[in-house]
Amino acid sequence: MSELDLPAMPPENAPPLSAAMEAELGKLAPVRTRRPLYQLAVLAGVSLIYGASLLVFLTMREDLEDLPMFWLAAVAIGWLFGFLVPCYFALVPREGTMTPRLRLAAAAVVVASIGFVTLGLLIHPMSPTLSTTYGWERFGRGHTCLEIGLASALVPVVVGALFLRGALPVGSRWVAAALGAGGGCLGGLVLHLHCSVADGMHVGLVHGGVVVLSALLSAAIVPRATDR
Amino acid sequence: MADAKELMGRYCDGDASAFRELYALVAPRLLGYLVKMARHRAVAEDLLQQTFMKVHRARSAYVRGADPVPWIYSIAHRTFLDEARRQQRAVVRVGEGDELPEQQADLHGEAADRRDEPRADPELVKATLDALAELPDQQREAVVLTKLDGKSVAEAAEIAGTTVGAMKVRAHRGYEALRKLLGRRAPDPAKATGGSK
Repeated sequence: MSELDLPAMPPENAPPLSAAMEAELGKLAPVRTRRPLYQLAVLAGVSLIYGASLLVFLTMREDLEDLPMFWLAAVAIGWLFGFLVPCYFALVPREGTMTPRLRLAAAAVVVASIGFVTLGLLIHPMSPTLSTTYGWERFGRGHTCLEIGLASALVPVVVGALFLRGALPVGSRWVAAALGAGGGCLGGLVLHLHCSVADGMHVGLVHGGVVVLSALLSAAIVPRATDR
Repeated sequence: MADAKELMGRYCDGDASAFRELYALVAPRLLGYLVKMARHRAVAEDLLQQTFMKVHRARSAYVRGADPVPWIYSIAHRTFLDEARRQQRAVVRVGEGDELPEQQADLHGEAADRRDEPRADPELVKATLDALAELPDQQREAVVLTKLDGKSVAEAAEIAGTTVGAMKVRAHRGYEALRKLLGRRAPDPAKATGGSK
């Protein structure tokens, strides 16, 4: 590509501040600035307490005793990471910058969405006596789990959106999707410990589907709240 | 003069003079960016005021120690896009005789810290601005930020809320299109001065 001779354009002479801005400066008060790691800690703490409260209200799954402890713990940790990692990318910018890590947030959304659906479809141990199966015939009954999952996602998404108000002039959709995916994973964790329906269709498409749906809903709604 | 981080921090602590210093530091270049995007000095000035009002309202979103300039540019970028959408046209074009003399004069207005810089050829500036106006929004922004405002591709990507790869593609396509447009207009090479990038 041959070089193009572009003219040097010096900076413009900026106009004086508007009267409205001067009036704002006249009553300027100190503000508490954003502390991303503190916000992440608050979001995680509040959301986990909320998720635990939901579990107490909903009760733990009936087939808990018959399921492999290693699988239960490993998947719970997976859901927990799925909750924390996208929220981290959504809330905590790189050192010295203010804008979130859009690319990593987007990657976290895609990995969580595909990963948890696939994981649920492929690996879903069940107790022969205590677990329930829906299969395709009663697949529609899974809507209750979808509702519980989305209700669980509500708190992290709302708290995250409140923290990010004004911080996202651009790229807010992917950040919102990351908050939604994180919230969806919290929903997945609650469902993992509450729901004893153990067939692959239900675990993959409904429990995993909560992540996808929550990310989509958050991407559609949250940017309106964070933009001011 | 203090840097943008320090000024933003003092401003968030309630120091109005720090905001004025920040405005003096950032506004001239930001206005240059907005003039190139909006192609209309009055619109660009209005967008500049809107941008700083939004910065003021969102100042609690500032992260201490972070460079606020890309964030302020992002707000300006978003403000420009919103305005362009609101008016249902991406670029406010200059009509025949409308505002052009004022704009040309302003392009050579001197910011306090740039009085010693060489002045660009007015015809080349006009040709470049006309050619820029023909580019799609995203390509124009990429060219303005990376080729005219001297931002790195990473900084430009951060401002536009996109990836570095996407910004590279936009800048390359925009630059190629600009080269064709300027080649078609064939300005007198003897008159070309200033920042070849």
